[in-house]
Amino acid sequence: MTPIRLLGVVRPLLALSLAVSVAQGAEQLNLFAWSEYVPQKVIDGFTKETGIKVNYETYASGEEMLSKLLIGGAAYDLVQPPDYIAEAMINNKLLRPLDRAQLKNIGNLAPEFLGLPHDPEQKFTVPYLTGTVGIVINTEKVKEPVRGYRDVFQAKFKNRIVVVNDNREIVSWALVTLGLDQNALTSANLARARPLVAEWIKLVKVFDSDSPKTPLLNGDVDLGVVWSGEAARLIQENKKFAYVLPMEGAHPFVDVLAIPTTSKHVAAAHRFLDYLLRPDVSKLISDEFPYTNPNAAARRLLSAEQLANPASYPRLEKFNTFRDIGKAAAAADKLVTDLKSAK
Amino acid sequence: MNVKPPAVELRQVTKRFGAVVAVEELSLTVQAGEFLTLLGPSGCGKTTLLRLIAGFEAPDTGTVWLGGVDVTTLPPHRRDVNQVFQSYALFPHLNVRDNIAFGLRMQRRPAAEIASRVAEVIGLVALAGCEDRKPQQLSGGQRQRVALARALAPRPAILLLDEPLSALDARLRQTMQIELKRLQRQVGTTFVLVTHDQEEALTVSDRIALVNRGRIEQLGTTQEIYHQPATPFAAEFIGQANLFEVELFRRGDGMAWLRFGGGFEVGVATGAWPENVARRRVSIRPEKIHLSKTRLPGTGAFEAKVVEEVFKGAHNRFTIETAGGLRLTVLAANESALREAIHAGDRVWCAVHADDVVVLGETRNGRGQPP
Amino acid sequence: MSPGSAQRRRPGLTAWLLLAPLLLWLLAFVVAPAAILILYSFAERDELGRVAFGFSLENFQRVADPTYLAVFGRSVGYAALTTVICAVLGYPVAWCIARASEKWRHRLLLLVMIPFWTSFLIRTYAWITILKSEGLLNGLLLWLHAIAAPLELLYTPAAVIVGLVYAYLPFMILPIYGSAEKLDPALLEAAHDLGCGPWRAFVRVVVPLTLPGFYAGVLMVFVPAIGMFAITDLMGGARVPMIGNVIQDQFVGQARDKPFGAALALVFMLLFVAVYWLLQRRAERKLA
Repeated sequence: MTPIRLLGVVRPLLALSLAVSVAQGAEQLNLFAWSEYVPQKVIDGFTKETGIKVNYETYASGEEMLSKLLIGGAAYDLVQPPDYIAEAMINNKLLRPLDRAQLKNIGNLAPEFLGLPHDPEQKFTVPYLTGTVGIVINTEKVKEPVRGYRDVFQAKFKNRIVVVNDNREIVSWALVTLGLDQNALTSANLARARPLVAEWIKLVKVFDSDSPKTPLLNGDVDLGVVWSGEAARLIQENKKFAYVLPMEGAHPFVDVLAIPTTSKHVAAAHRFLDYLLRPDVSKLISDEFPYTNPNAAARRLLSAEQLANPASYPRLEKFNTFRDIGKAAAAADKLVTDLKSAK
Repeated sequence: MNVKPPAVELRQVTKRFGAVVAVEELSLTVQAGEFLTLLGPSGCGKTTLLRLIAGFEAPDTGTVWLGGVDVTTLPPHRRDVNQVFQSYALFPHLNVRDNIAFGLRMQRRPAAEIASRVAEVIGLVALAGCEDRKPQQLSGGQRQRVALARALAPRPAILLLDEPLSALDARLRQTMQIELKRLQRQVGTTFVLVTHDQEEALTVSDRIALVNRGRIEQLGTTQEIYHQPATPFAAEFIGQANLFEVELFRRGDGMAWLRFGGGFEVGVATGAWPENVARRRVSIRPEKIHLSKTRLPGTGAFEAKVVEEVFKGAHNRFTIETAGGLRLTVLAANESALREAIHAGDRVWCAVHADDVVVLGETRNGRGQPP
Repeated sequence: MSPGSAQRRRPGLTAWLLLAPLLLWLLAFVVAPAAILILYSFAERDELGRVAFGFSLENFQRVADPTYLAVFGRSVGYAALTTVICAVLGYPVAWCIARASEKWRHRLLLLVMIPFWTSFLIRTYAWITILKSEGLLNGLLLWLHAIAAPLELLYTPAAVIVGLVYAYLPFMILPIYGSAEKLDPALLEAAHDLGCGPWRAFVRVVVPLTLPGFYAGVLMVFVPAIGMFAITDLMGGARVPMIGNVIQDQFVGQARDKPFGAALALVFMLLFVAVYWLLQRRAERKLA
């Protein structure tokens, strides 16, 4: 799950440039990552230090990344899946075990982000950035307290709400509101969640995963359920925005880095991983993308203001991430499509 | 008794396109029922004249009258005028019948009348059997007939024809010229035709208006235009002409005696030569010069040498040179073998009748020589 | 050719060689993708989202689900409305450009095409700037005291239609312009000459003769407008899914069900073909 997803109009061009540069022979690294998620400064710094050229190809969803990887063609050396996609990739033996010896900086990571269900032994992945999905409120327009999903989805807020355009997210909120497991997308659970989702969808004005902060900034909506990084940026922009973790249970996510089994530049991939784990480098990432940085050493370099941003560093009790649910994802997708259509 | 108003009257009409004056202070009257041709070189303004009558152009100054009514501000669809376009402008999405019926439908005539009128004009232009074809499926000549039929079907008071035969080959063109003339006599509509082809103009017209540089150079019957060209332009544009300068030698016996370059003299009616003018250009048509190996009696005879001979089938074209160095073109029929033959290098006697020497005025707008 | 004059000649080797680039093009960009789509549409999705080939009609059964039929119907409705508006706006514009003097014609055509020089996304964001609550249009209307409170413009069906019309208008204008520009002005004069006022001349002559361009415009607007998803996401707030959104979701979205996406796309493509065929037949009947 991510921050900033742009519609992939530039992707074919990037793919082309990748194909062209492969022909050149110099040491290189093919990075396949979210669009606008790895600062150019960081990539340039790596090339300057090591002489390794980084080809940065982007995608707009973890599912898209997986699709392209499975089709084959271009060989990617480093991918950046969200937790539940990484889990599916590990289960299907698409990822190469990491060589810890080459990752001297791995100790910088805070222990609470290690050994999570998608990679219990931390054999295949390294966390990049983490975050939560939570409630953002324009306190100038919404005076009453908003603590959970039920407070957001009220009739009086009809057409004043933005949510991420992510069908599994929406369904998961309904599940946790009903006290169900967010990862148990059984047909019985979906049937129970259906009326709630139907009611909620009618209240929403904008579904936007790419930039949910935009309608909030533009004044088109007054509250929403968005990625924490988006909320953090809103708060940086204007203190009138507040971030709240839903009391029913927040959904945290981890975007990880991993090396596909098809990688042809394994050593370079490790070097890049280790480079990203360096506190000074990781700080640069946080400066640009105010998600939760799992790198404890890097966090010490952040300003007090950065650390005080409630969207970037919320008080989180349970770390309950999404799991791979296989075909059930399609059921969640159909449910929301259906309900949106019925609107 | 009522005098029928003229079919078309242009009064002091001027039309400019930017800096170009297409028609200048021009007046013209077309009588009802006549076949008038606007003849002139390309760019002379004749098509603009037609468009002014049709209503596609509005004059800058002056007025346009049709049937005695001032129509200067009337749009084309309100004028009782139909046009045959140079490109025919047949509607490609309609078949022959619907093309011809178009004008009648616009007049909202009853269906039965439309059908009978369409059948009538189809008969008139001999297109029976082609009713259901689309214009693209017709030959050039057939398209031309459809265009004619379409313009005639609504029975306009005036039919305008813009170079209607220019796209046809020479043989078909000649047939259609005769056809056009026949058709005009048959329907009795006023025809105004635009052409640059002098032969066509002579064949079809009752009268010809010779247009040059936005003005009418000469207006007259075909005979007048040919035999009595008013200006050097008129003389040269229609038929062939020997043009040269002569001087008045003396007047007497009701004649004005002119001396040619070669020293010989010819007398013309004294009224044909303006007073107080010493020199003028004259025109002699090449076929009006008679050649003979023996001296002919009478005045207007002179001696010359044949310098060139071109065989043209039914006639020969000779170039002769007088003693004074004047070169003239002569057309002589290839007559029977009984007559003496004349060849290049022969010395011949030439004779010109006084009536065949046309004293020309200046070109009307005085802007120099014709092209 | 007169009947029975010669037997139809078989194309020789040279003819095949000359045709080769076209055939290769068709193979690579038409036949192959269509074949893959067909193959996928009968397959199934495995747990990871890969395509498990086989023969199953289940995907087509799912296409017939009321949910997707409703989405389909809505997409067609939006596309049809977009096409109508584009035609109403585009026809006069195309006609005026075609009738303008040569100098102006080139300038006006340039104006029609200039938006293509900017990224489609940037142009759509520009519309967001205009239509948002605190946007330019509301600002203007408030300043003029035409309204008391900002209007809800963005994230409405109307905004989607505005976006679609804006995106596809040039595709309506250009083919109509192509037809109108070729129209012999003498035909119009002939119509006037035969008694048509301007309106009747337009209906009786201009419209029938520019119909091929008009049909091309309708196709070029209607067909892609059905599949458009970016505008409904950005300007409609993704509130009502379009068929394009659903298909996209199957290929690169969460559903990860390519076979089903392929079945949707295939049915969708057959619809294009049907529309095209109908229009083609009508056009042929008109002009034959």
